Amino acid sequence: MIRPRWRKVISDLVGNLGRSLLVVLSIAVGLFAIGILITNHRVIAEDMVTGYRAVNPANIMLVTTPFDDDLVERVKSVKGVRDALGVHRVSLRVQTRQGNWLPMDFNAIPDMNTQAINQVHLLEGVWPPDDKEVVVEQSKLSEIGAGMGDWITVELPSGKTRRLRIVGIVKDLTLGAAAGGGGFFLAAPQGYITPSTLPWLEQSEAWNTLYVTVEQGDDETAIRQVAQKVRREVEAQGVFIFSSAVRTSNNHPNRIYVDAVVGVLFVLGALVVFLSGFLITNTLNALLAQQMVQIGVMKLIGAQRWQVAGIYQVLILIYGVLALILALPLSARFSYVLLEYLANRINLQLQGFRIVPLAILVQVVLALAVPQGAALLPILHGVRVRIHEVISGIRPSEAVQTPHWIERLQKRFRALPRPLLISLRNTFRRTQRLILTLITLTLGGAIFIATFNTQAAIERYIRQLSRYFLADVNLTFEAPQRIQRVQNDLAQVPGVGHVEGWAYTRADLMGAGDEVLDTVQLIGVPIETTLVTPILREGRWLQSGDRNVLVVNERFRATLPNLRVGDTLHLRINGSEREWVVVGFLQLAGQNLGHLAYVPYPELSRQLGQSGRGLLFRVAADRSNLSLPEQEDLARQVDAFLKARGYHVTEARAGLSVLEKTAKGLDVLTNFLLILSGLAAIVGSIGLAGTMSLNVMERTREIGIMRAIGASDGTIRTLVIVEGVLIGLMSWVLASLAAFPISRLLSNVISQAIFNAPALFAYTPTGFLAWLGVVLVLSVIASLLPARTAVRLTIREVLAYE
Amino acid sequence: MASLLTSAPASATPIISLRGVKKAYHTPAGDFWALHGIDLEVYPGEFVGIIGKSGAGKTTLLNMISGIDALTEGEVLVNGVRVHDLDEDRLALWRGRTLGVITQNFLLMPTLTLLENVLLPMDFCGLWQGRKSAERAQELLRQVELEEHIHKLPAAISGGQQQRVAIARALANDPPILLADEPTGRLDSGTAEGILHIFERLVAAGKTIVMVTHDLSLERRFSRVVWMADGRLVANRQIALG
Ligand SMILES: Nc1ncnc2c1ncn2[C@@H]1O[C@H](COP(=O)(O)OP(=O)(O)OP(=O)(O)O)[C@@H](O)[C@H]1O
Ligand SMILES: [Mg+2]
Repeated sequence: MIRPRWRKVISDLVGNLGRSLLVVLSIAVGLFAIGILITNHRVIAEDMVTGYRAVNPANIMLVTTPFDDDLVERVKSVKGVRDALGVHRVSLRVQTRQGNWLPMDFNAIPDMNTQAINQVHLLEGVWPPDDKEVVVEQSKLSEIGAGMGDWITVELPSGKTRRLRIVGIVKDLTLGAAAGGGGFFLAAPQGYITPSTLPWLEQSEAWNTLYVTVEQGDDETAIRQVAQKVRREVEAQGVFIFSSAVRTSNNHPNRIYVDAVVGVLFVLGALVVFLSGFLITNTLNALLAQQMVQIGVMKLIGAQRWQVAGIYQVLILIYGVLALILALPLSARFSYVLLEYLANRINLQLQGFRIVPLAILVQVVLALAVPQGAALLPILHGVRVRIHEVISGIRPSEAVQTPHWIERLQKRFRALPRPLLISLRNTFRRTQRLILTLITLTLGGAIFIATFNTQAAIERYIRQLSRYFLADVNLTFEAPQRIQRVQNDLAQVPGVGHVEGWAYTRADLMGAGDEVLDTVQLIGVPIETTLVTPILREGRWLQSGDRNVLVVNERFRATLPNLRVGDTLHLRINGSEREWVVVGFLQLAGQNLGHLAYVPYPELSRQLGQSGRGLLFRVAADRSNLSLPEQEDLARQVDAFLKARGYHVTEARAGLSVLEKTAKGLDVLTNFLLILSGLAAIVGSIGLAGTMSLNVMERTREIGIMRAIGASDGTIRTLVIVEGVLIGLMSWVLASLAAFPISRLLSNVISQAIFNAPALFAYTPTGFLAWLGVVLVLSVIASLLPARTAVRLTIREVLAYE
Repeated sequence: MASLLTSAPASATPIISLRGVKKAYHTPAGDFWALHGIDLEVYPGEFVGIIGKSGAGKTTLLNMISGIDALTEGEVLVNGVRVHDLDEDRLALWRGRTLGVITQNFLLMPTLTLLENVLLPMDFCGLWQGRKSAERAQELLRQVELEEHIHKLPAAISGGQQQRVAIARALANDPPILLADEPTGRLDSGTAEGILHIFERLVAAGKTIVMVTHDLSLERRFSRVVWMADGRLVANRQIALG
């Protein structure tokens, strides 16, 4: 036979299902959020590194004039080199499903079966492909709109076309690793072919890209030293190096996004631990407040303090265990939903589902220890309750007077409706409880508003980025074209307005001596350009009279932390090194894009020996604010027109689609934050609803007495709702205030990761308003439901209650 | 006058004795003296009625005997124990075994069945014997004529029935003394009569009962009446009610 005191535990659990559910949910929702945050934090940081290292990524990448296997063997014997691989990479235009032509990178790799460097994961189909077949990379597949088994049409240098069948789909974690390529999001679609397919595509079979892994792949200095030796060896063989880049084996191309995500998860995780602690404390406080009379009765009939405490400790333990049972599997499951979402978008390879011990540990502590700790004070307070006060109903230790300011308010504004005054009095009567409730609701709301703000801040920034992509069509030619001629020709295309020709090249950013730090993309824009209005962080934009000056992007600060306006950089263009002065810092879409600088067109074209010519052309339509389909339409017309005129166009792309591609990484963060703000909303809402419902439940007796003295159900409902809304509104005001520092913190974490500067920052009313809506709706519902139950009880039941 | 207060045989030792008990409530308006020095002895087997106007201090007096509130001055001996020398936990255990307390508003545990309510004191006071306890509780509930209802919750029975459960619960640990504070205060006269009947049976069976009431019609049912007014014991009803 079960002891009666455990019967009491069971009957409290089962007898008041609504309340038990609220308590369990209030505990569980915090655990759930924490589990997700910690699991994501751990798994994503670990799997990015392990996953990337596992594909044996190249530490040194050289783009060169053609070379053969001899050179590869020589490089292999350079001291510090572990392995080397020569591949042939070529960019060819392929036709998309919509009929556009897009550049696609074809990688011809020897010994594909045993490919030692930059290994790919086969997702579907076969690897390696046979001759005249292609395997494609999954993340960019949607751009060409083709799938497994489809044929893709490739345009050859001669103008002929060939068709290759897609026989496999792979994941390539090294996508975007090469310098100067603009990173993962700007990378072109990738195809993998056998070297014997090259001649069929009118390409030579010689290699033009060298991948090298080094012994100390995690040490950037060591890699740079080896790179220097490799370069010398390559150049000694008469091979010219166009660009070179180094990368450690743990530096996934999208690391900055992972850093941002991990930073956000950490901040939110810490906050939610607090929130959860307060929520649990608050919930158990409310629970025990309802039990005061019962505690008094138990003591009256002979219960000692430890016996009473034991009953509630066991009850709380069971609540905790139930919450844990609910939260553990759910959070593990949902963690991986979020992880897979991220992994797919930022090209990570997850190492499979696993339990994260820290997540479990924190959840267990939060579910079992924190409730015991949180309940300790109320339990101690409870068991100290004076029996005579409880059974007589007179509790001077609890009776708090109406605050003076409410009395004054009452005198001043006689017209204030009575229900409002009573509600005001009720709200402020138990100050301690009110403070605890407010802290909980405030934290929940602030986290929601802050994630929302941060998400909106990034979104707003993405819109700002359009200032770099004002042209409607971005054209890239295979070789520089006379600007005047292109402008004259394009003037005949209907819809075309303003046309600018820009110079473009890749340059080596030189360190001390002949050390190459990295590749820099230089964009030579006319000083009077109307198609770029940069987001300047420091210094100035190009102005007339400028010659060797650069306006550099955020990536430079990561490579050269001490770089200032007025400093000189050494750039090597086509073998000759010159000095350039930094006049401004601008901010683009993040460090991931690599080193990019705007320079005056006249100077760059002169140095390239291409005066009057441009490789990139920017076309503005003759009317503004074209939509994406309109831009794409114009791009197709321009492309077809130029082709018919005998131009070789590599790419004709809608401006908005370039913007979209550039901002894609930020977009992933936006969506990720949106999901997190959803999570915050769930935690906040359940916390809000639970806390308020318990507050009203606690007052069941009071409601009964009010009805006994003649208050109508309507009056009671009004009182309860006004009180709930009042608390909700107060918490909203506080949450709005608390949201500012939290938004700032989150924005900074993201900005530091993405831009290497605390740059992103904005407040949008949306989050504040959304939370206001949630607060209003939930306070009404959460107050009304238990009030309805209370009103339905007969007066006798209520008075006998407890 | 003196004979009224000491009507019990002088030879027996009192089971309850109060000496110079004073009680002050500390209120924001200053100390309020609810008891001004009470001397009272109750002998085994007595059925003592404490009668006085509202506010006379009757409940306060009972609280001094059961030790559920601290006294300000004086001494209370119950069954040979100095009640106010015990610490809180010992007091609870002692009270659970020595006193059955019955109040005006029954104070049953709302989520426990009648049977479980009666079993609870046995559990707390170390007298839990599983099956045997259940049989005893059932027997007690049978004595108060509630055997058909033992698995109901308190909210499902009438006030008079609830008070009978409270009596059964007070008897759970077979204490020698029952303290009842207006046990019939919220019941109609018929139901109240039933409760009094039970008390009389218990007294006949050897229990000592101290019962507070302001129902003068019950005066004759007690073996002795103690009159109270303004925190003092007084000689007769004229003084108490005048
Ligand atoms: N906790 C308390 N704080 C302050 N004063 C109190 C407290 N409890 C009782 N009193 C006062 O002490 C006096 C005696 O109260 P007590 O409850 O003992 O009276 P009573 O005789 O039981 O009255 P009733 O018949 O109405 O129950 C009263 O004047 C009461 O107002
Ligand atoms: Mg009283």
